[in-house]
Amino acid sequence: MLQWLQDSTFCMWVVGSDSIWAYPTILTLHTAGLAIIVGAAFVIDLRMLGVGAEVPLPQIRTVFRFFWAGFIINLASGVILFAVDAVHKARQPVFFVKLAFIAAAIVVTARIRRRGFTPGNATPRPAIRPLAIASLSLWAAAIVAGRLMAYL
Amino acid sequence: MFGFISWLEATGFSTTLRNATWVWPTCESIHFLGLTMLIGAAGFFDLRLMGFMRRVPIAAAKAFMPYGIAGFALNLMTGTLFFMMRPSMYAFSAAWWAKVFFIVLAGMNAMLFETTLGARVLTLGPGEDTPTSFKVVGCVSLFSWFAVLYFGRMLPYIGTGN
Repeated sequence: MLQWLQDSTFCMWVVGSDSIWAYPTILTLHTAGLAIIVGAAFVIDLRMLGVGAEVPLPQIRTVFRFFWAGFIINLASGVILFAVDAVHKARQPVFFVKLAFIAAAIVVTARIRRRGFTPGNATPRPAIRPLAIASLSLWAAAIVAGRLMAYL
Repeated sequence: MFGFISWLEATGFSTTLRNATWVWPTCESIHFLGLTMLIGAAGFFDLRLMGFMRRVPIAAAKAFMPYGIAGFALNLMTGTLFFMMRPSMYAFSAAWWAKVFFIVLAGMNAMLFETTLGARVLTLGPGEDTPTSFKVVGCVSLFSWFAVLYFGRMLPYIGTGN
């Protein structure tokens, strides 16, 4: 099945084409999406940790829109990057480590969105801090695992 | 310049780091972490400069910038190490020079803002739109940083002379 996926016309074009719009552009989109996702999470988490206390919480909440927009870019580009190299990546333990970190980071981020913005509160509850630290650590771990996919 | 590049590539420092297998992936990981810090913090401030999220007092939006600058510092350090490890690969790459151009552009843009326009930042309260000059600065900054990312990631694919 993975071999069939990898050998599909679309995947063959992505890898085989000399066009700058094929593999290089999809790879770059994945990096730009990463900057948007983790950049947004970084700002949200810093605010949860007390940085930028003058920034009203409802406005910080709008940053989640960028987070999800980046996530959609990376889900789409990520599926393609997996498909073109499916047989190899499906055997890479570090790929599944990366997916696990992303899944955990998403769960934590969603929890921050639910619990960090109680109406009427100008400051996030102190109980949110461990979640913010977990989010920063998990996203960093996902990035490192993703980078190491090129080496392990 | 050719002499300097080949001299640098032959130094013990460059050779030792280049041959240590873990140095490159480690620097790359740090470089990616730094870029998210920079684009997150600078992007937030740039968007406010461009007139988005007007309820955020503009001086408050700047509170994240030290963390963005920390990310830039990480990337300047790891980037310098990349160059020292493989100077000939970078010095003869059009994408690398484009990347450097946009780093300089973003830096000059930020410097211009800090030295001439920045004083007006504190006079802008929450809910106020930003003047056109701020919008231009924010736009140039955001575009430049993504251009830096673009040419960085495209290094293996653009203008390598192959």
